[in-house]
Amino acid sequence: MSDIAISTPQAQMTRTRSAVGSLRIVQTACILVIALVIVSPLFMLLIASLKDDRFQILADMGSFRAFWVSDPTLANFAEVGNFSGELAFGRYLLNSLIILALTVGSGLIVNSMAGFVLAWGSVRGRALILSLVIALYVIPQESIIMPLVIMVSRAGMTDTFAVQIVPWIASPLYIFLFYQFFAQLPKELFEAAQIDGASIFRIYRSIFLPLSLPALATVSILMGIESWNQYLWPILVTQTDYARPIAVAIATFFGQDSIYWDRAMAASVLMMLPILALYLAFQRWFVSSFVGSAVKG
Amino acid sequence: MMGKRLLSMLMASVALAAAGVTAEAKTVLHVMHQGDPGWVSTYGEVAKRFEAANPDVDVELIYAPHDAYNEKFSAAVMSKQLPDVMELDAPFLANYVWSGYLQPIKPLIDQDVLDDMTASNIAQGTYPIDKDLYAIGLTDSSVVLYGNRKYLEAIGARIPKSVDDAWTQEEFEGYLEKLAKVDGVKWPIDTFRGYGIKTEWITYAYGPILQSAGCDLIDRTTWKSTGTLDSDACVKALTMMQTWVKNGWVVPQSSGTNQFFAEGHPAALALGGHWFYAEAAASMKDDIVVMPLPKFGPKGASPNGTWIWGITTASEHPDIAGKFVSFMLKDKLYRDYATADSGYPGLKSFAAASPLYDTGGPLAVAFEQASKTAVARPPHPAYPVITSTFMQAVDEIFNGGDAKTALSAAAAKIDEDIEENDGYPPFDEQQ
Repeated sequence: MSDIAISTPQAQMTRTRSAVGSLRIVQTACILVIALVIVSPLFMLLIASLKDDRFQILADMGSFRAFWVSDPTLANFAEVGNFSGELAFGRYLLNSLIILALTVGSGLIVNSMAGFVLAWGSVRGRALILSLVIALYVIPQESIIMPLVIMVSRAGMTDTFAVQIVPWIASPLYIFLFYQFFAQLPKELFEAAQIDGASIFRIYRSIFLPLSLPALATVSILMGIESWNQYLWPILVTQTDYARPIAVAIATFFGQDSIYWDRAMAASVLMMLPILALYLAFQRWFVSSFVGSAVKG
Repeated sequence: MMGKRLLSMLMASVALAAAGVTAEAKTVLHVMHQGDPGWVSTYGEVAKRFEAANPDVDVELIYAPHDAYNEKFSAAVMSKQLPDVMELDAPFLANYVWSGYLQPIKPLIDQDVLDDMTASNIAQGTYPIDKDLYAIGLTDSSVVLYGNRKYLEAIGARIPKSVDDAWTQEEFEGYLEKLAKVDGVKWPIDTFRGYGIKTEWITYAYGPILQSAGCDLIDRTTWKSTGTLDSDACVKALTMMQTWVKNGWVVPQSSGTNQFFAEGHPAALALGGHWFYAEAAASMKDDIVVMPLPKFGPKGASPNGTWIWGITTASEHPDIAGKFVSFMLKDKLYRDYATADSGYPGLKSFAAASPLYDTGGPLAVAFEQASKTAVARPPHPAYPVITSTFMQAVDEIFNGGDAKTALSAAAAKIDEDIEENDGYPPFDEQQ
């Protein structure tokens, strides 16, 4: 009998603490593994951009040497700076920034307005319109890309900045996202503003829009990434390099017989920076929109 | 004061309008191309020199990345924005001519340039139905067998000096077996599986192995694949290649495309394109041996064809387009860049001026193949389907699939496409 240990409250607490500690270790380990999986391609990209031998980069890709550089150099970045395409590399970067800024800026206005009207406006056939918006979202972009090429070509829009912006401003996904967000806001807000004599545009601009920062941040980031990564569309609708974005310039490094991995990697790092900055700038609201921190009624 | 300002504004407007008229009076030539930064820059320079020599012409270059070139071409067709001059991959020529996108170029190109073409260059630009020339290039291409001199000496291998004394299949497989046992050799051969199945590589480089073995991707008289691609000879040839893979003799796809000259030289042989020489020689110096492709049957076979220049039917100025192509093919700086890029000669004068390919040059044997063993890829409008289907079948076989099953399925798929297009008339009348 004396061998049987009697569990005291202190011992139980110690065991509980130990179990919680073990759980935390497992949790931390899992988070670390997930973080490694996510970060490792980016790290590999950065490391490869610091190697000056394109053949070595290729050979290293199958092993852990891909994550190590013994003799780092910025030569690839200098090469990219001296890019011998039709335009300077910085110009392609600027083109991408212009396209991104105008697409996201116009997209926020158009999609949020549409979402707001669908949520609070006097719209006949609201349910039908919403169903159509969702149905449109299901249609893959690839299936409409060629008809769209013909349309913009007939409209004389090819080879412009506009052709890379206008078709992507209105998006069923973002209209629906805004609709959902606005619909969650308390009815009292809308009614109080109406009693005060505010027009529907005033209610949208002065009350609902300032409350929708998480939705605006989410749409900005998603739309920004989408716009920044556009590759096939600009190739199809532009003839010259005048308005072409950075993704098309990077493709130049992938030639017929040879791939310039060194320069492609350095250019990819440069391409990644602005979108990373955009994410960091809106990260707080982006995350909060996902955890549902909208105003509750 | 106000009157003077108005007058000067009016004069400026007139001057601007006049400049506009001058600009509009120029003929704009649209030239679509692909290529890496070096080539993009070279084409830009050629265009500038052409404009300087022809002040009434503006050359507008349209660049499309290599991997999105076909999509760009499709978009140009659909939006009726075909360029005047376009670069095209030679095996796709039959499809483009059949579809009505290209026009014959003999009347448009300078005679001295036409006379300068090698037989292989003529073959890659000729449409089989009317035997007319639709495209021309400064360069062509081939695949040779590269060897590591030290490893070959270690096994006492015979080094062929010309296409005529290429290794036989027995010799080749015997050497692979011996090389597998040599210290330092991880893989006896790199067949560049690393290029994957999204490039033309498999059809381009492995197709000649089938042709040398006595079969083909498709019967070039009846234009039927069943009975040819899945014939005993083709099944035997691809089973042989599958055995190399199973034996661990071939550099796997995941190991990239530089194991022949990477540190430690883990691959002893490389079945590589002519462009591979510059990369390999820079690292291996005199240790590199260039040999003709082995014979897998009574006769040898090697690939040809590269990106060449055609003039579209949409061109409103075909004469100027022809003038531009002739100008470019004769341009010294364009040729200099092609030489520096190990360009495989498609013009005789270019070969004579290229130390790599001229008699005694390290790649002379590669150029010898052009006249002795080169076989063009099937010049048929169904080629896009033929190549993608064949590449998928080879990939399946290399991953352990049954050769007969995979090739029969591929042949049936090719025939199905041809039937669906009513035999691509008049190709169906050739039978």
